[in-house]
Amino acid sequence: MTGLRCIAGVIALTAWLTAGLAAAADAEAAKKIVTGTCQACHGMDGNSAIPDNPKLAGQHRDYLAKALRDYKSGARKNPIMAGFAGTLSPQDIDDLAAYFSSQPAVLQSRM
Amino acid sequence: MIRSTLLVACAAAFAMSAMAQSPAPAGNAELGSQKVQMCQGCHGIPGWRTAYPEVYQVPKIAGQHPAYLVKALQDYKSGARMHPSMRAIAASLSDADMANIAAYYAQTGLRGTP
Repeated sequence: MTGLRCIAGVIALTAWLTAGLAAAADAEAAKKIVTGTCQACHGMDGNSAIPDNPKLAGQHRDYLAKALRDYKSGARKNPIMAGFAGTLSPQDIDDLAAYFSSQPAVLQSRM
Repeated sequence: MIRSTLLVACAAAFAMSAMAQSPAPAGNAELGSQKVQMCQGCHGIPGWRTAYPEVYQVPKIAGQHPAYLVKALQDYKSGARMHPSMRAIAASLSDADMANIAAYYAQTGLRGTP
């Protein structure tokens, strides 16, 4: 019984550590893409200073991921974003959506 | 002579491209506030989710750049961007309505946290 508990504990601990490590790696992977590509138009933290380009900081993660998927598939038409989004893997899209959604935001949901 | 003509042509092309990127005409936030009833049901509720055709949280638009909001509405109206509800709503808006609504939401976001 103690043995079973011990095994369960080890499994839980491993899962917790793996989840933590994966999350840390995602942010770093996102930063590389942002530095190389996104920041020129959207700013490093996604608070774009250019009026034509949307602020991404603090935007909902699932909405950001959908926008990138739609640019990639062509469901949303924008020649500039199609070029960038076309190179992103599903993992890149998740990493970027997590990164921008967690940056300090100006955006709000309000009336 | 040819060189100076080329320079002038280049400068003109540059100036035109800069003008093309200038912000959309400023809207009237006061007039915009009279048109946002149809927006508030989704964009005014924190965490509100779409139901169809995909489920995701509707974007936060308060505090967004007005030029981008106008473009989003124009793209929904033209069909460059697809969402059944947004397409129907945007189709009912004039260019002036779009500018006014965008001005309203850009300004609303600057009022601080609710």
